[in-house]
Amino acid sequence: MDKTNPKELWEHVLTQVELSISSANFNTWFRNSFIAKIGEDNVVYIGVPSQFFKDWYLKKFHTLLLKIIRDVSYEFRNIEYLIVKDEQRKTPKETKNVRGALELPLEEFYINKSDNLNPRYTFDTFVIGSFNNLAYSAAQAALGRPGITYNPLFIYGDTGRGKTHLIQAIGNQFKKQYQGRKVFYLTSEKFVVDYTDSVQAGTANRFKDKYRQYDLLIMDDVQFLSKKDKTQEELFHLFNALYDTNKQIIFSSDRPPAAIPDIAERLKSRLASGMAVDISEPDPESRMAIVQKKAALHGVMLSTDVIEYIATTLSGSIRELEGMVNSLVCNAQVKGGAPDIAEVRQSLRSFTRPQKNISVKNVVDKVAEFYGIDEESIYEKTRRREVVRPRQIIMYLLREDFNISYPTIGTKLGGRDHTTVIHSCEKIKREVVVDSELSNEIQNIRTLLV
Amino acid sequence: MNISIEKKEFSEAVHIVARFAERKSATLPALSSILIIAGDDGIKLRATNLETGIDLKLPGKILADGVVAIPAVILQQIAGSLAHEGKVTLEHIGDIVTVTSDTGKSSIKTVPYDDFPTIPFPENPKNRVVIAGVLLKNLFTAIASCASPSTVRPELSSVYLSIEGGVLTAVATDSFRLAEKKVPLSNNGSQGTFLIPAKNALDIAQALPDNDIVMSFDEHQCAFVGDHGLLVSRLTNAVYPDYRQIIPKESVAEAIVLRKDFETALKRTTIFSDSFQKVRMQFDPKKNTFSFFARNADVGESSEMLPARVSGSALDLSFNHRYLSAVFALTAAESLSLTASGIGRPLIIKGVGDTSLLYLVSPMNQ
Repeated sequence: MDKTNPKELWEHVLTQVELSISSANFNTWFRNSFIAKIGEDNVVYIGVPSQFFKDWYLKKFHTLLLKIIRDVSYEFRNIEYLIVKDEQRKTPKETKNVRGALELPLEEFYINKSDNLNPRYTFDTFVIGSFNNLAYSAAQAALGRPGITYNPLFIYGDTGRGKTHLIQAIGNQFKKQYQGRKVFYLTSEKFVVDYTDSVQAGTANRFKDKYRQYDLLIMDDVQFLSKKDKTQEELFHLFNALYDTNKQIIFSSDRPPAAIPDIAERLKSRLASGMAVDISEPDPESRMAIVQKKAALHGVMLSTDVIEYIATTLSGSIRELEGMVNSLVCNAQVKGGAPDIAEVRQSLRSFTRPQKNISVKNVVDKVAEFYGIDEESIYEKTRRREVVRPRQIIMYLLREDFNISYPTIGTKLGGRDHTTVIHSCEKIKREVVVDSELSNEIQNIRTLLV
Repeated sequence: MNISIEKKEFSEAVHIVARFAERKSATLPALSSILIIAGDDGIKLRATNLETGIDLKLPGKILADGVVAIPAVILQQIAGSLAHEGKVTLEHIGDIVTVTSDTGKSSIKTVPYDDFPTIPFPENPKNRVVIAGVLLKNLFTAIASCASPSTVRPELSSVYLSIEGGVLTAVATDSFRLAEKKVPLSNNGSQGTFLIPAKNALDIAQALPDNDIVMSFDEHQCAFVGDHGLLVSRLTNAVYPDYRQIIPKESVAEAIVLRKDFETALKRTTIFSDSFQKVRMQFDPKKNTFSFFARNADVGESSEMLPARVSGSALDLSFNHRYLSAVFALTAAESLSLTASGIGRPLIIKGVGDTSLLYLVSPMNQ
């Protein structure tokens, strides 16, 4: 037994006490108590529910308890009794009554405050790397002087980059920092539904009032507003109302404001009028930091090589990374102890994209189709630009993704020399780094190949 | 032990004390018993369920000193069956108590009283207030029913009491409505706040005498001491939300209605409320009327229109009728003032001329 661990010590005390008093007595007096802490001066503090217990412990059980803990160790000097707060006591589980479903609770008392924010998303759990540093700084600046510095704040980036986490963290921080002010988080889809509902019910005015009362409005995934003209108009008016009264507005989207299709110009320009920042692809170091942080949150310490393996070998968004970490954590909890690299490989097999043995022809087909050229021309000796580039990409993909040898690639693509292949691969590799359009194209082709 | 007590006194005392005994049988037998003490201090009945405790003095004649614990349920049943004037004697021999009244004699097996806990008094009761028992009794019975019956949030299932500037304020809320009631105190030196579990407050109210008592409290325990004896309760150890923040300051519509009209109209409308107990309330400043409406698909519908002094703008709000009718227990005022601060915002109900009460009720989604 670890005598510095209050839980274990209390377990020991309970087993001893149970032997020396009647079970009715034991159940009445000891069920709701525990060792609150062991002080530095070796005084054991026992947490009890009320004064009744404190008095009775002092009167009836003090000598018994003292004897038991002295038997464990002579270092324990004394026992003190603390009346603990009700929240720390276990309360009996009870079923929530559904009757009250329709009633609006008095705001401050309601457990789930009506701001829609998920308390899980905070800045404490947010990993900052070079890929999202700018967005993070913008968020902090907006929090410093809400409604003034960057209004609206528009955050965009591909799926799974942490947009929702960031904007919800802003909401949670705002709530903490400016108590009494109102925050509301919603997805644009919810906004659309709300609006159509209110039109149907003939309460459009209430709808307007509802959204205008917030000091910070956070709208996720605004790209889904495209083609919803009436809702856009409503958002436009809401935007103006909030903006004019210096209320902070935050949007997120998977693409920059200008690139959202089918959205009214006047709304588009407003979305872009404040600060638009993107969250780019996380670099390997950031991915490692994220894996480490997520694992640590679950109380699992992963070794560096495991972290590196997860972060670099496996592609995918942060959300997928999180899924991998969760599955690892679950594995670790079942088996006990941190997993080693072999186990990790084993358990993450389901996440790795299947490396099918794809035929060269298949790759050529897909790439040719992607660029809209005739696949025959790939095999020909032509040096037309529109053919050369796809051909180089094919070589690059075959080499990078399917590990086919340079000479094989050469012969399969119309009997070219292996040095030509090496040159092409190197060229694309260099360009991918600087040319984001090219890297996007390659990403898209890769999704076609899976 | 051998004591002799007036029947009426005895049954009243047992009735009061029995409420404080533990009703669950699974626990210590001593907790579900009433301890009868005959000694130098006179006759005392004592009971506790470790949440609340009572120590009640009882006039009577002591023939021999002694202590005995008797199961509360048995004693209560006996006390309830005593009829006519006269005396009852309790005599303790061995582990049997013999209860003798004029018509009969019963022998009850006693419970070992070694396990009977002490009734703890606040450790350093520096906060002391003298208050008329009847005031506190009314305050507790009126307010405690507004607290939440759920134990998930201990602070909401408690009554918040605050003593400041010679006024005792009691607040209870179940997060759908909130009641605040004030009572003036005769001495205004003391101040402080505490949270008493609403269930305990009701038990205590029931046992409080009408004359002056001393209320004292510390962080964990409160006590009510009078000539009759001592009542204690554990306190809730939690932070009470700042309820003042949610009281709306602005007013959109206000109506003043006669309580009598309001009560009968509400009563009739309630018959037609749906399964959500919803009634709709309408402020019409143009016609100076205030109306109720309810519809139940199975029963039918009903509307009531009352003359009222309505100011502000026209407004429609829906409420759970149970929360509206709760206000009648809280004030005795002849007229009620209802102040609405807009759609989806709580309604304030006050008694006209009664500054002691503030009742806040949250509307239902329409």
